[in-house]
Amino acid sequence: MADLATRPPLLHVARSRLRLRPGQTGVVIAGLVLLTTVAGSLLAPLVWPLDQSAVALDQTRLAPSWTHLAGTDDLGRDVAHRAVYGLRVSLLVGAVAALVATVLGGVVGGIAGTLGGRVDRILMRIVDTIAAMPHLLLGIFIVAMLRPSLGAVIASVGLTHWLSTARIVRSEVLSLRNRPFIDAAISGGAGRLRVLTRHLLPHVLPRLALATTLMIPHAVWHETALSFLGLGLPPHLASLGNMINDGQGSLLTGAWWASLAPGAVIVVVTFAIAVLAARWRDRFDPRVRAELHL
Amino acid sequence: MTTTESVPAPASARAATSRPLLAVDGLGVEFRLRDARVRAVTDLHLTVRAGELLAVVGESGCGKSVLAHALLGLLPGNATTTGHAVLHESDGEPVDLITCGQRQLARRVRGRLVGLVPQSPATALNPVRTGRRLLAETLRAHGRDRADADQLAVDVGLDPADLDRYPHELSGGMAQRLVTALALAPDPALLIADEPTTGLDRPLVDHTLDLLRRRCDNGAAVVLITHDLAAARRVADTVAVMYASRVVEHRDTDELFTAPTHPYASALLDALPDRAFRPVPGDPPMLTALPPGCAFAPRCPHRTDTCAHPPEPTPVAGGGTVACHHPIRTGANP
Repeated sequence: MADLATRPPLLHVARSRLRLRPGQTGVVIAGLVLLTTVAGSLLAPLVWPLDQSAVALDQTRLAPSWTHLAGTDDLGRDVAHRAVYGLRVSLLVGAVAALVATVLGGVVGGIAGTLGGRVDRILMRIVDTIAAMPHLLLGIFIVAMLRPSLGAVIASVGLTHWLSTARIVRSEVLSLRNRPFIDAAISGGAGRLRVLTRHLLPHVLPRLALATTLMIPHAVWHETALSFLGLGLPPHLASLGNMINDGQGSLLTGAWWASLAPGAVIVVVTFAIAVLAARWRDRFDPRVRAELHL
Repeated sequence: MTTTESVPAPASARAATSRPLLAVDGLGVEFRLRDARVRAVTDLHLTVRAGELLAVVGESGCGKSVLAHALLGLLPGNATTTGHAVLHESDGEPVDLITCGQRQLARRVRGRLVGLVPQSPATALNPVRTGRRLLAETLRAHGRDRADADQLAVDVGLDPADLDRYPHELSGGMAQRLVTALALAPDPALLIADEPTTGLDRPLVDHTLDLLRRRCDNGAAVVLITHDLAAARRVADTVAVMYASRVVEHRDTDELFTAPTHPYASALLDALPDRAFRPVPGDPPMLTALPPGCAFAPRCPHRTDTCAHPPEPTPVAGGGTVACHHPIRTGANP
């Protein structure tokens, strides 16, 4: 008994590990939510396989119950089951597209910042021009040019979300470029490429990683919006946007649950990611204490 | 403007060979600011031979560090340079450091031919990399074994264990020794050391100076930029005194310290604690508003009307040059 009494409770351990203040239990909850959803969506095909094209027309629009936790849709498909698979798509698109956007933004911003002068002006005006157009409109345009598929959706999200990253990286590189240690590296015989990869990049990386994480929720929402508009994945494949879109018809007949589960999943998961990223940003840069406190 | 050929360099007794390694000819550096032009280096002539240790001394803001940066092409974009600084490589054609362009500088010159020990070492070290990684990178980039890092650390008086620290974990003196090791890693033919003894205590100052002296004795050349006149006297073969962007006197160390001919050099030596301990009267001029003639004239006890014209560097008996209309003549020397 004495042993148990001296051992700190699990929550306290988690708090001290993450250096949380008592008010930041939200971060722990967000972490647990993210952990379960990611683990769940990764393991889903093993433990709970889904036949994407299967329908059960004798079980349409059943209200939530113990057999169908989130009810069934107008084709008799289990909403909870499909939401898990929809989340898989969303997270995949979110992560890959955020990575694509980060690499693209990093390269453009890095080149603009390192070379400066005319190259910098041209590149940043291109960024301004693209940023002047609505993201979604541009995304729709990109998907419309390609065939609806996972790749097209990722391209659409990635190609519209790299602008802020490019600006962040450029400004970082610009401020680093004038630090004496860059001159010192050059005076030691380092060429442009070496200065960029060995001396500038390591400084930009933490910020880049943070930008990527903060971008995942955006990317997930973008994918959902595209699918909702019928421009994302083919309709029979479960994706959160597709499901919300399908659920619209059921809403009018009173089957509110068909859109509720996918909607709730996307809100909870993106919120969890945003909470964790904000906490990370706080630790990384104490000057901009996040406005997001839970 | 004079040419280098007409200006005899100090005939140093200690210089190992007489082959000129670096010939700076009429170098000028000017910075354009929004509302002013700053002349940081004006019509500068210098020669450095292989095996020679040249000390460049002068007050803060007289253009010493700008000279170093100009020779390595590290000046910011608002700087314009004139003149030449030709480096004669032992095997290869001469390079003009001022006109050869960034590509040549990066490929051939920096590190390998001309090394720099930068001023303010704390900011000259990349804060996210350890000393060992910085050294290993430099060694490998110049085709040397990364295992030489420990030996280099010992050479500069740094405990090899300290190489595994990040720059913020180093003291000012340790950082200073680390940047010296980094500059020595490519074994440059010409090493420009900008205040390499900052933050070091006496034994380490001596250690660093001896290290530079040994490099020269082994045939390399060193330009030592310093405020420390005692250090210059101890190790330098020749000393160039800079004042308000110009070299006012360039002579053999012993001759300069025993019989300075330029009034400024004389006043500077008089400021030493073991001499008159009397500061140079007046204030140094602003580089944005240099007087048209001799820049030292307003502070000079010997000034006359001729000082309104800029003095040219002229030979001094016993070798070297002085840029003054009324050089101090001591003893029997005419």
